[in-house]
Amino acid sequence: MTIRIWSKSAVAGLALLALGGTAWADGMMRYATVGEPPSLDQHVVTSDLATTIAHHMFEGLYTFNAANAPVGLLASGETISDDGKTITISLREGVTFHNGQGMTSADVVASLNRWGEHGSRGGLLFDNVANVEATGDYEVTITLNEPFGPWKNLMAFINGGPAIYPASVMEAAGKEPIAPENYIGTGPYKFNEWQPNRHVELVRFDDYASPDGAADGYAGARQAEFDTLRFVPVPDVGTRVSGLKAGDYDYAESIPGDLFADLDADPNVTTILNGGPIFGLVFMNSKDGPLQENFALRRAIQTAIDKTPALQVAIGPEGLWRANGSFLPDGNVWYTDSGAENFSMGNAEKARSMAEEAGYDGDPIKFMVSTNYPFHYDTAIVYTKQLAQAGFNIDLQVYDWATLIEKRAQPDQWDMFFTHHGFVPDPILISVMNDNYPGWWTTEEKAGLKAKFTASSDPAERQAIWSEIQALIYEQVPTMKTGDVYTYNIASPDLNGLGEATLIWPHFWNVSK
Amino acid sequence: MLLYTIKRLLALIPTLLAASVLVFLFIHLIPGDPAAILLGDTATPEDVAALTREMGLDEPIWKQYALWLGNVLQGDLGTSVFFREPVLSVIGDGAETSILLATMTMFWIVLFGIPIGILSATKHGTWVDQMTSGGAMLFASVPTFWLGLYLILIFSVGLGWFPSSGFPSISDDGGLTNLRYLILPSLTLAAPNAALIIRLVRASMLDVSREDHVRTARAKGLHPAKVAIKHVFRNALIAVAAAFGFTFAALVSEAVVTETVFSLPGIGRLVVQSILRRDYPVIQGVILVIVVLYMIINLLVDLAYARLDPRVSLK
Repeated sequence: MTIRIWSKSAVAGLALLALGGTAWADGMMRYATVGEPPSLDQHVVTSDLATTIAHHMFEGLYTFNAANAPVGLLASGETISDDGKTITISLREGVTFHNGQGMTSADVVASLNRWGEHGSRGGLLFDNVANVEATGDYEVTITLNEPFGPWKNLMAFINGGPAIYPASVMEAAGKEPIAPENYIGTGPYKFNEWQPNRHVELVRFDDYASPDGAADGYAGARQAEFDTLRFVPVPDVGTRVSGLKAGDYDYAESIPGDLFADLDADPNVTTILNGGPIFGLVFMNSKDGPLQENFALRRAIQTAIDKTPALQVAIGPEGLWRANGSFLPDGNVWYTDSGAENFSMGNAEKARSMAEEAGYDGDPIKFMVSTNYPFHYDTAIVYTKQLAQAGFNIDLQVYDWATLIEKRAQPDQWDMFFTHHGFVPDPILISVMNDNYPGWWTTEEKAGLKAKFTASSDPAERQAIWSEIQALIYEQVPTMKTGDVYTYNIASPDLNGLGEATLIWPHFWNVSK
Repeated sequence: MLLYTIKRLLALIPTLLAASVLVFLFIHLIPGDPAAILLGDTATPEDVAALTREMGLDEPIWKQYALWLGNVLQGDLGTSVFFREPVLSVIGDGAETSILLATMTMFWIVLFGIPIGILSATKHGTWVDQMTSGGAMLFASVPTFWLGLYLILIFSVGLGWFPSSGFPSISDDGGLTNLRYLILPSLTLAAPNAALIIRLVRASMLDVSREDHVRTARAKGLHPAKVAIKHVFRNALIAVAAAFGFTFAALVSEAVVTETVFSLPGIGRLVVQSILRRDYPVIQGVILVIVVLYMIINLLVDLAYARLDPRVSLK
């Protein structure tokens, strides 16, 4: 009897719960993310996931159009002095922050100064900035010590970039990311709530002042079509795919290559390639160990590796990777094949004799990799085998990402480590160009070329210098590029306005369902 | 019994202190820096050092521990490095999911585990016993991630009956109907645990059924069902009670795989992610809560023993 009552209650309860679903309003876009961002503060955090969410809330003075050229967003124009040292930026008027306060030059100056002092990428520009001042309610003047060619690209790159916050928020902000209650920007969506492990939710900002012009990449008019954008952490890829097919999500990111063919053929799913490829990098230690300043030995390692089999193993379908030696992809203004003939030789015999000539005596070479990113580990396994065939004694050390980050900061702990890099619109943003990045590539040749590269404002001249820098990378091998990886996301076919490919991060203004 | 309960609760204090020291030491001994994780790949050592200083993580470990302990004694578990929210609030969010999930799972375990276990024992040696025992072994062996993904494919993608993942709080829109998000995960978690309870109930009942008092009951001509429930099952329940207690505690704290497959914001996932992020305050807070939970459940199990078996006295 008791069992019968239990069974009936259970069945009735199940039926009620199954039927009692909340009807999702079409005004909500639900995005399944791989995890949670560390913070949404764009000044200090460079997580791509953080930017995917935050660039709906925060805007910079500039952004990128579809051709990856920087164009005005909160800036309406600029003038540059003849000596290239004084940049006067005029601001769009009538722009309102999410707290209702109007944006003025005081907010821009406070934001740029905080970014310059504490921002992840701010130092690149501000090492060369003498002064930033408000020269009118809607005018800001930046004075440089020396002309600096990439300033506009740095301003337009919102990931770790100069988002504009109210001056009142910037007053108390230091290196630590600002708290969610201070997520106040000028974007088409504003912050609503962050429930840990549940979701981050943005809502439409009704007083948004959109830039003019046709939508072009991230530039042009922005229209918030959804009432709410909800970003839900769904760490299991099977659940992200199933959830999208079940209609629980409208968009899901970071889907593995081995599912691409099936999903691309599925009429209930839209696949969207990310236009800007990511690329793996194997850094070499320039401060300590057997690879320190032994460029010949590094070239021997480079010669031993055939990148294609690793890309096949780690990524899968051919449409999702390119064995491309240029640091920026084909079609980009920074594409160059300079030095790239050394990209993927896969010649074990030649590598063996080069290593002997370089004085390699079989000492273990510590190669750190993390399992947090499967493609890092898969690639490292293939490389280790190839290097062993060429006579290298590779000590593969596998860590979780947090441990790897800590160890790579200690020069005596490693000889090579694996990481990856997101697409960047200017080579100055590639980590190997940063003298302080683990690996610590600081040769005189690099310093000379880097100084010329940043001083020039002439696009053709900068491209030519970048070709020389890339050739130097293949000669001194501070890092080895592993190839371009085109990640992809999936979406419900009901979403309109997504386009064929995302520029760098997906965006949901001008998108509806 | 009251005195016994008070004594046991007081015994919590040294255990908690020991656990907190161990957790503090372990988490600080493993490499990894929350500041470096927070700032990402482009951060310079100077950036990382500056943030480490701002967060107070450059102080000696003993000083950090003393500060943390002082705050805990005032009811403040600190602030999450990652979420920049009070740890209590972060744990509270996770606890809601975990406790509701564990409760719903226990419901399925009781609903299926006990009746099937009784049936299996009373039909000992028959095809019914073989079927139920075989089924129990099958479900005990199935990996939960596999079962979870198949339940999602069938009931979410195929039939559309239940949501595939996530769990909005029952205080959000939807209220109690949000519990439907927990049906598939609780069934996933219940499958292996119910299977174990079936085996345990069956084995305990078979043991008890060989006792003299059961033979006497049968000899008196009592109805077999009454013998099975009142004389056999009640005595078999003593062993099952302990299993229930620790199953509940494990469901709250260790359901990481199921929480990951169904994207549930529970305690298990929280602690694993906090370890990966080196979010020290959350790790310490969660471990403390889990230790308290285990100790309270241990106490409740002991109290339940006394209720179920008059021979047990609590001193």
